[in-house]
Amino acid sequence: MRIVVAEDLYLLRDGMVRLLEAYGHQVVATSTTGPETLDALRRWRPDVAVVDVRMPPTQTDEGLRAALAARGELPGLPVLILSQYVEQLYARELLADGAGGIGYFLKESVFDADQFIDALERVAAGGTAMDPAVIAKLLGSGTSHRRLGQLTEREHSVLALMAEGLSNQAIGRKLFLSESAISKYTTSMFGKLGITDDDHSNRRVLAVLTYLNTP
Amino acid sequence: MRQLGSWVARVGVGFVRSCVVGSLSMLVPLVWAGAVALGIRWGAANPWSWLAPLVLVCTGTLALCRTVCRAVRFLVGKWTDTAVPAGYRQAPAVSQLSTGHWWNGFSYERTRRDALRDQKWRLWWYDPATWRDLRFTALLPFTAGALACFPPAAVAAGLLTLARPEPAARLVGILALAAALATAPYAWRAVRPVAVRFLRPSPAMVLADRVEELTAQRADVTVAQAAEIRRIERDLHDGAQARLVGLGLSLATAERLMETDPGRARALMRDARAGAATSLSELRELVRGINPPVLSDRGLVDAVRALALDSPLETTVSAGAEVRLEVPVESALYFAVAELLTNAAKHAHATRAAVSLVWGGTGVVVAVEDDGRGGAAERDGGGLAGLRRRLSVFDGTLEITSPVGGPTRVRMMVPCE
Repeated sequence: MRIVVAEDLYLLRDGMVRLLEAYGHQVVATSTTGPETLDALRRWRPDVAVVDVRMPPTQTDEGLRAALAARGELPGLPVLILSQYVEQLYARELLADGAGGIGYFLKESVFDADQFIDALERVAAGGTAMDPAVIAKLLGSGTSHRRLGQLTEREHSVLALMAEGLSNQAIGRKLFLSESAISKYTTSMFGKLGITDDDHSNRRVLAVLTYLNTP
Repeated sequence: MRQLGSWVARVGVGFVRSCVVGSLSMLVPLVWAGAVALGIRWGAANPWSWLAPLVLVCTGTLALCRTVCRAVRFLVGKWTDTAVPAGYRQAPAVSQLSTGHWWNGFSYERTRRDALRDQKWRLWWYDPATWRDLRFTALLPFTAGALACFPPAAVAAGLLTLARPEPAARLVGILALAAALATAPYAWRAVRPVAVRFLRPSPAMVLADRVEELTAQRADVTVAQAAEIRRIERDLHDGAQARLVGLGLSLATAERLMETDPGRARALMRDARAGAATSLSELRELVRGINPPVLSDRGLVDAVRALALDSPLETTVSAGAEVRLEVPVESALYFAVAELLTNAAKHAHATRAAVSLVWGGTGVVVAVEDDGRGGAAERDGGGLAGLRRRLSVFDGTLEITSPVGGPTRVRMMVPCE
């Protein structure tokens, strides 16, 4: 894959590039500021971009803004946001356009390189991948609390894994259940939540997340 | 009939009030008159005769002035619902020092009784309110006092002239009585504007009070700041630092075991990775408690929105056009909202909350409302009192209405130019 890495701290940027190259991916450009990131995304149109939220010159959410702006021009451009902290607010903004190809992770998720690369590939393929911390926050907030009240405990855990971006097969492996059992759970769950079910995992995740996000 | 009754009542009340104000204001002039009379009686014979009346005037006036002022303030408050702030200086606490002496804020004394007596005198003497009171007692008889004296004086004069046999005198007497009755409901009223104008604290006193308030606030802030820094230091010391030490140890051991026992080395490295993740999440919580990242990224409105999203309550946020404030003000308001939402969920058992932020010409108003069970009260050292203190640093105010059974409404206002 052709990847753009936007990260202002040298050590992290360097480590990230080395990690990606170790897995056989090609880093076509790196950037260290918000405007630079936007330029690189426009010029290279990468298969996926790894973007840090906080970047110079303002040291606020420059990276996030650049990613959102680039996706405004190039709809569905796959972006994986890496941050020291996760905010529901930012997750909402990223998911708002409904185009998919979004990942939002804590920086330490790169500790588990296999899973990280896996998530990155899912995002590049137009899927959605969220850090468990983001999911926990989404599922724990007041709005979703009421809506999720009718789900059983098992359905709840299936929903959480689905929101992370896993397919039925992967969820089944994690919960030691058969794929058909999982699909039974999802059907009943979608029925309760009033979401139309289809097999496309990305649209499924988006449906769940947008549903949880709308106040 | 009823009108007549209410008129009689008004005249009666007015007459009594005029009498009270008149006699109160004439108390000090009476002392002066007595002194002058004394001087005249001794007068001719003794060259030092002016001395005793002078002493009488001074001590009498000084002794009476505060009592008179207190009475006027009380009466004005009772009759016209006008609060006239007194602004007397408060006595500092008298405390015993390790040497056994007593310190009263001004001087050291051997016994507690001496210290209290000394403090009382000094407070009285150095209080600018004393000089204001003196001015007022001197002014009162010639303004509101004189007016208030009119009805009783007219009644007295009327009754005296009525007693005389000539018809002209009777006519004058009746006229005087009529004038007394007509003016009685109004004569005492001049005491209000005079008291409001001359009995309130002077600008210098208001400033002195403000300085005292600010000094107390500064002390509070310094203490709070030191406590906060200690908390951060402790959190870092017990959390991230300790974990990093453990991490280093694990890695060192793994390095040694790499060749002899690769399995254990790998396990140790996995532990090290988990430790690093834990210390990162601890650091993140710590940073969030010091300065929430969204607040510096996006400002107050988005930070409050993020809070609302994370809150277990169903929280709506409405905001006017945002004006960025000073960082400390934004931070104080953010943590205030965070605390109020936590209270609503934890103590009031609310399910919904609404936060509104409005920027006006004078400042920002943040209101938080929940549908909980109410009954929130401000206790010394409690969360709400702390909140009020933190806002007061920016001259902010806090209003709480929380009837038992709910809902709780809290309104915070911070002025900004």
